Amino acid sequence: MKEHLKECMQAIIDGDTERSEKLAKLTLEKGMPVLEVINKGFVAGIREVGRLWEEGELFLPELVIGADAMKMAMGILRPALEGGEGGPDRLGHVVIGTIEGDIHDIGKTLVATMLAANGFEVTDLGADVPVAKFVETAEEKGADWIAISALLTTTMPGQKKVIEQLEAKSLGNIRVMVGGAPCSAEWASEIGADGYAGDAVAAVALAKGKTG
Amino acid sequence: MNGFLEALRERVMLFDGGMGSMLIAVGLVDGEAPDEWSIKRPEVLLDVHTKYLEAGADVIQTNTFGATSIKLAASCRDGAPETAALNIRAAKIARQALDEFILGGRFLAGDIGPTGEFFPPMGTLSVDAARNAFREQAAALERGGVDLYLIETMYDIREAVEAIRAVKEVSDKPVVCELTMERKKKGYFTIMGDSPEKAAEILVAEGAAVIGANCSLTSGEMIDLAGEMRSLTEAPLLFQPNAGKPEMAGGKAVYRQDPEAFAVDLIKMVEAGASAVGGCCGTTPDFIRAVRARLDRM
Repeated sequence: MKEHLKECMQAIIDGDTERSEKLAKLTLEKGMPVLEVINKGFVAGIREVGRLWEEGELFLPELVIGADAMKMAMGILRPALEGGEGGPDRLGHVVIGTIEGDIHDIGKTLVATMLAANGFEVTDLGADVPVAKFVETAEEKGADWIAISALLTTTMPGQKKVIEQLEAKSLGNIRVMVGGAPCSAEWASEIGADGYAGDAVAAVALAKGKTG
Repeated sequence: MNGFLEALRERVMLFDGGMGSMLIAVGLVDGEAPDEWSIKRPEVLLDVHTKYLEAGADVIQTNTFGATSIKLAASCRDGAPETAALNIRAAKIARQALDEFILGGRFLAGDIGPTGEFFPPMGTLSVDAARNAFREQAAALERGGVDLYLIETMYDIREAVEAIRAVKEVSDKPVVCELTMERKKKGYFTIMGDSPEKAAEILVAEGAAVIGANCSLTSGEMIDLAGEMRSLTEAPLLFQPNAGKPEMAGGKAVYRQDPEAFAVDLIKMVEAGASAVGGCCGTTPDFIRAVRARLDRM
């Protein structure tokens, strides 16, 4: 079992999707404790990937393939947990997108991938997303968070508009995180957002810290 | 021979500074691609180029950073202009500024930025699609009469290589190639993990006559990079940092660095081995003027 956990972790660190798929299937075939394999194997792996990325040991391609391998494993293991006893805590639903007028996709996609890899339900609206679309989708999905990326100083005010629209519709319970190169913690607090995430790892920490 | 490389051997060449922020200052609005202004507002571009020449720039860059067909399709919300025509137009406007300027010995760089799409695993961009887009842009810049090519702000060395190869297919003119790097604990890297060592090796092998770095870093942060790259290659080096870190004020980005402080840092880069310097985001003719004054005193 200990060896299996180690292998799961390593598959994620290596970004080896095939290996990750095999290990996830093996977990089910052998009737191993799914939750433990997820938490101590795969999740431990994606955490390590995040740490190495922050340290500057790994870069964007490794982060993306690590997250892909994680998604593969979770896709196989999650159904086995649903409805079962002792399932993982519901981490929450995040509606994410890049704000209207802004076509920058990569940072946002990375945050979405890492959130999903860490067990959040994620609705990715893509780039150039109108303010109203964030609010409508979050309401419809019963989202816990809206994550808004803005890479341009000219599009950042859109983040504020989302918050204003949430308030106008009495949806202030939905939390908002902002990110993107020109954003900062000061900007987040200026517009009344619940937090600022400078990168994908910070976004996961922020969402975990303030959900539930 | 147009003399750019000869001039570079004789003196430190000063490139111009930012374009986008100059256009925003005179009315570029949300969702509008700066590249489109070559058609919509050519008189503004002529004015910006002229201001940089008057400030003392030796090399001015065409307003074509985002003018590959791939990037234009994404950035022009009301339909993209025809790629070749836009690039030729941009080159001609800059050429006009050079022709009308009182002094000679100045050069026109055809500016080429990233496509904005990513190769796998991040995205679905193919090598062929990238090469074709860069070739189309470079061929048009060639027709527009540029003296050299400036491939800049490249975060993936593979994309930079495609751009260099594309230019080489359509032109014999010198190619300058800048990557954009962040400073990590273990040194300077692009977001893809491309290091200065890799840049020095690959870009030079691909035939870039000048290599370097631009954007992402402030002038202070880029000084060590200049020294490091100098130790890695004999190729001439170009550095174009930003005017400090952007700060938000009233929902707008402001670059607060003082042009004199910027100029002091650029001189340090020259002392560390840079063969050419210039500015990127947030820099204006005032910054270039300050650098010119100090270069002349060296």
